[in-house]
Amino acid sequence: MNVGHVHSAGVGRPGGDPLALLAGGLSLLLAVAAHPVRLSAGAEPALDFAAAVAPIFGRHCVRCHSPGQPKGDISLATGADLAANQYVVPGDPDSSYLVELIAGDDGRRPEMPKEGAPLSAEQVATIRRWIAEGAPWPAEVVVRERSQADASWWSLQPLARPEPPTPAGIAEDWLASPIDRFIFARLDEQGLRPNPPADRRTLIRRATFDLTGLPPTPDEVAAFVADPDPRAYERLVDRLLESPHYGQRWGRHWLDVVRFGESNGFERNVLIHDLWPFRDYVIRSLNEDKPFDQFVREHLAGDVLGPNQPEVEIGSAFLAAGPYDNVGNQDAVQAAQIRADAMDEMIRATGEAFLGLTIGCARCHDHKFDPLSQRDYYGWYATFAGVRHGSRELASAEQRADRAARLAELQQRRAALQQQHDAVAQAAQPGDASGELAKLKEQLAEVQREIAAVPPLPTAWVGTRVAGEARGPFHLFLGGSPQRKGDEVWPASLAVLDRCVPPYRLEAASAEGDRRRALAEWITHPDNPLAPRVLANRLWHYHFGTGIVDTPSDFGYMGGRPTHPELLDWLAGQVHVQGWRLKPLHRLIMSSQTYRQSSGNRADAAAVDSAARLLWRFPPRRLSAEEIRDTLLSVAGKLDARMGGPGFRLYRHTQDNVCTYVPLDEHGPETYRRAVYHQNVRASVVDLMSDFDQPDCAFATPRRAATTPPLQALTMLNHRFTLDMARALAERLEREAGEDVPRQIGRAFELCYGRSPTEGEWAACRELVAAHSLAALGRVLFNTSELLYVE
Amino acid sequence: MWNEPREQTRRRFLGDVRTGLAGIGLLHLLGDGPGAAGATAPAAGDAWQPGRGVTHHPPRARRVLQIFCPGAASHLDLWDYKPALERFQGQPLPGEEHFVSFQGKNGNLMPSPWPFAPAGQCGKPISSLLPHLARHVDEIAFLHAMVSKTNTHGPGCIFLNTGHVTEGFPSAGAWLSYALGSENENLPAFVAIPDVRGEPPNGKANWSNGFLPARHQAIMLSAQQPIRNLARPAGVGPEEETASRGLLVRLNRAFADRHPGDSDLAARVAAYELAARMQLAAPEALDLSRESAAMHQHYGTEDGSELKAAYARNCLLARRLLERGVRYVNLYCASRASGVDGLLNWDAHKTLKADYERHGPILDQPTAALLSDLKQRGMLDDTLVLWTTEFGRMPTHQAGTTGRDHNPDGFTCWLMGAGIKGGISHGATDEFGRRAALEPTTVWDLYATVLHLLGLEHERLTWYHNGLNRRLTDVHGRLIREVLA
Repeated sequence: MNVGHVHSAGVGRPGGDPLALLAGGLSLLLAVAAHPVRLSAGAEPALDFAAAVAPIFGRHCVRCHSPGQPKGDISLATGADLAANQYVVPGDPDSSYLVELIAGDDGRRPEMPKEGAPLSAEQVATIRRWIAEGAPWPAEVVVRERSQADASWWSLQPLARPEPPTPAGIAEDWLASPIDRFIFARLDEQGLRPNPPADRRTLIRRATFDLTGLPPTPDEVAAFVADPDPRAYERLVDRLLESPHYGQRWGRHWLDVVRFGESNGFERNVLIHDLWPFRDYVIRSLNEDKPFDQFVREHLAGDVLGPNQPEVEIGSAFLAAGPYDNVGNQDAVQAAQIRADAMDEMIRATGEAFLGLTIGCARCHDHKFDPLSQRDYYGWYATFAGVRHGSRELASAEQRADRAARLAELQQRRAALQQQHDAVAQAAQPGDASGELAKLKEQLAEVQREIAAVPPLPTAWVGTRVAGEARGPFHLFLGGSPQRKGDEVWPASLAVLDRCVPPYRLEAASAEGDRRRALAEWITHPDNPLAPRVLANRLWHYHFGTGIVDTPSDFGYMGGRPTHPELLDWLAGQVHVQGWRLKPLHRLIMSSQTYRQSSGNRADAAAVDSAARLLWRFPPRRLSAEEIRDTLLSVAGKLDARMGGPGFRLYRHTQDNVCTYVPLDEHGPETYRRAVYHQNVRASVVDLMSDFDQPDCAFATPRRAATTPPLQALTMLNHRFTLDMARALAERLEREAGEDVPRQIGRAFELCYGRSPTEGEWAACRELVAAHSLAALGRVLFNTSELLYVE
Repeated sequence: MWNEPREQTRRRFLGDVRTGLAGIGLLHLLGDGPGAAGATAPAAGDAWQPGRGVTHHPPRARRVLQIFCPGAASHLDLWDYKPALERFQGQPLPGEEHFVSFQGKNGNLMPSPWPFAPAGQCGKPISSLLPHLARHVDEIAFLHAMVSKTNTHGPGCIFLNTGHVTEGFPSAGAWLSYALGSENENLPAFVAIPDVRGEPPNGKANWSNGFLPARHQAIMLSAQQPIRNLARPAGVGPEEETASRGLLVRLNRAFADRHPGDSDLAARVAAYELAARMQLAAPEALDLSRESAAMHQHYGTEDGSELKAAYARNCLLARRLLERGVRYVNLYCASRASGVDGLLNWDAHKTLKADYERHGPILDQPTAALLSDLKQRGMLDDTLVLWTTEFGRMPTHQAGTTGRDHNPDGFTCWLMGAGIKGGISHGATDEFGRRAALEPTTVWDLYATVLHLLGLEHERLTWYHNGLNRRLTDVHGRLIREVLA
């Protein structure tokens, strides 16, 4: 039993310099009980095992030599372990194998510890003395490796309520928003000043891409630039937030976070055809501004919260939206491992998406960096144990009743007809040729057809719920192996947050759905500091390209430190104030001067903060893969704005017992919908999308890369899609600007960049159009940085 | 900036757009140096930086050829001679009489249908199914006690390629691209050559860049399938292409000039230059008609067996790519599973003899020709060759068949070339070949050794992802010193 923690030095790294990168290294925790201090009468006090010896084991041995660690075959975690391995002969250090291992001989490197420096002579002497004294090991002392961070870690503290600062020298217009005051104060500390406001043309392009993932139309740009209303910008933001494209853009962000993909991955990698309702649910929820705590609860327990309400139940498809191995394996040991892998995938997805905790690292051993134990991990294992991947009916009570009523009516009719038929058949004389029997037969066949034609209830990939699998008792798996069961565990909250959030522990006999509901309520509990912090940071990340914490799904030791911890907590507080609704939070962020400043680079500021993490400028960004494709379609006038339903595909696939995906050379009009509706499959490569860093959905992607490999150039120049869009743009220009080439070029610039060309650009473009074609110009513009980047 | 906030070091290093281009290679400009998102900073005073061709210690190897036989090529019928299978033929496997493995029940011990004969100076017994490859044993270091975590093809293949059984992790070639960058800026650093029959189990996850930046992905190509989108599209003439490229460079340069200090924009200009050079260099590298008739015959590219000829062409292509500085070639001999076990790959569940009489000759001559060719050109001095498969097969036959089921508990891979001691066998399975018995090795050990030969310490080659500094060798890996020359 561990009743207390003896902390060695360096507990809880302070926030430190947020710009500094992580330092490596690993320190250890000795978790021990309050222990009796032994004194041998009249002599020098005996060594205190817990104080003198256990730390040596803790720092140098138990990383490999503890239960469940396959590396070291013996354990030095408990006195019982020591007795079992007989490496120590109490009272006789010279005969103890342990001493032989750690002491080395004649200058040869000792055999142990295998990794790291050998023990010092002093440490070896301590161990010898302890053995000579009889190697006492109080039963309650368990030596464990300590995680780097403990419960004092910054992200695990209750939300602070910081007062926005009022730094000297702050401009009037930076005083209004608390966001700006926090940002300005931090800039001021570094001797930095923010940029001036961006011009309106830049601002509408930035805001429109940010909220909708599409470029503004030339008319929208012109109207906004000319709008005399001092609240023109606020009205712009309101309009964009009301656009259905908002949900498509921000839904795509969320689908990255929850590793949404429409094939199961692994060897078979077959398409999943009924997970798309989850995508529609995400987009709809965002457009409706559903409170995010409700959204989270539906992800974990929608089926429990809203049985027979498909629009609620579908949320729980989150659990089954990840990859899983569905190859049948007759080998029981392997089959158990595969199931444990599928559970692990759900556990990790949950911890990372909602709490920013990499709880998956506590699967085989206690988390090495964060204060999460195997007990925590397997508590969640028990929580999700009843969930399996797969489809099931998803229908409202009304739909079910309607269908049942329709079937009942038809069946009644069939029974009546059958009766009539049988009666007539019995009464009929041989050779009776009255048409009645034939007519009844026909009517029976007809009603049979109608029964068959009653559509089945819709299904969706929300996973199945298997009460049998959820039956306890549950045990943690030593070393992560289902074959090696450790202590019993129960569905429970994470212990490290007990100080903040009321903890819970459910009985082994608790209902499967109750466990998930309890977890969902615990995650979204008003006192849980992680969920609102992680959410606020995600919003910031997508608005500015980098979060206040630059690892949005990892708020632990290996993650980044907040650049603006107070601002983060202030924003997290606003999550509660705004009732977990995102749209007011977008307004708060986007109305700040921080967001509205220009992206101009300044050498002096860049010398201090080149990445602009402190936001002395608005950080420019490259468009995402989806934005690029949507933009080409939009500029070419080909975007098919239909929302919802099953996705389209940019690959063809072959399927026997496995699926293979081959990218398409030609993207037909059926693919002209927004890219969020692409049926993304795992382990496949799709032209344009993969080149521009659309991630493989094998993992959650809390943050996309923005790389610049030559393959992007090859695809954007040579793929048929570019040429098709260039041709469509040329036709549009002819339609909208007539025969006049300068006007066509002007229109092209307005569509692509939201501005008119300069004289020099005009001349250069005319030359190309004259020598070749308008479509050639389109192909060039689609490849320009000005189109691909947002300032 | 531009979504890569941790790039401070590189930005400062590059300085101005154009002057930066003069000093360092184009690809480095596109690189993801030490500060890139996800990369961990090297310790202070540490000279190593990823992507610049700099290593941790002097390398023995500069590039890698990995030949992969998907489907679980049987160690017992190719490389690992077990006379006990003949002696105890038809008897149950001691201790595992009722063993249930991947596909179900197993029968009794089944000897290999092919005799083994001593080969080379070292006298190593090799299956008569591989007469050409047998001539290379004096240069090969066999790992006979490989073990895998999984008995399933897909996870097994990606385990061998990425060190992880789940998808989404970078493969060895992607790690190498990240660690060292390219030797030839006009060609990709990492190429995957799938078999003419299709992709291996788990498909493209085998050569994925995983969470590493997209530029480390393998370019998939083969003698049958050129690089996608490489060619100028039909309908765009050479003059239009030149004029369009000219205008594009002008617009992109002007945009970069309006944004001084934002080196991503210069990188984009550079990417288009590189793409243009790749358009010139890649077709030349892929043009097998530049090889002599004798060379074609040596490899067997005109063989009557279409599958063998196709694989032979891919072998020849692999040599041409390695010769031109591609860092990592991932060459496949066979593909994913099909409806019929054993037809498209080495997965001989039902009819071992018939299946391997098809696969053996496809592999044998072309691979042996490739090895001889590399040797003759002196390329084995700095090219490391790996032969790998995802796991082995059972010493017993499957109940009711004359095939063997999956065996992840003991199988063979081998190494050859740069820095490798030839003619040796490291590790051993038990007398029946059922399990690794002596000096077991894992894929992590294999890659710890591969990286070591490439001048890299496997524990220092890391990338931060979702909570951990990830490695090719996961949290494992032990250098197999016994195979080093």
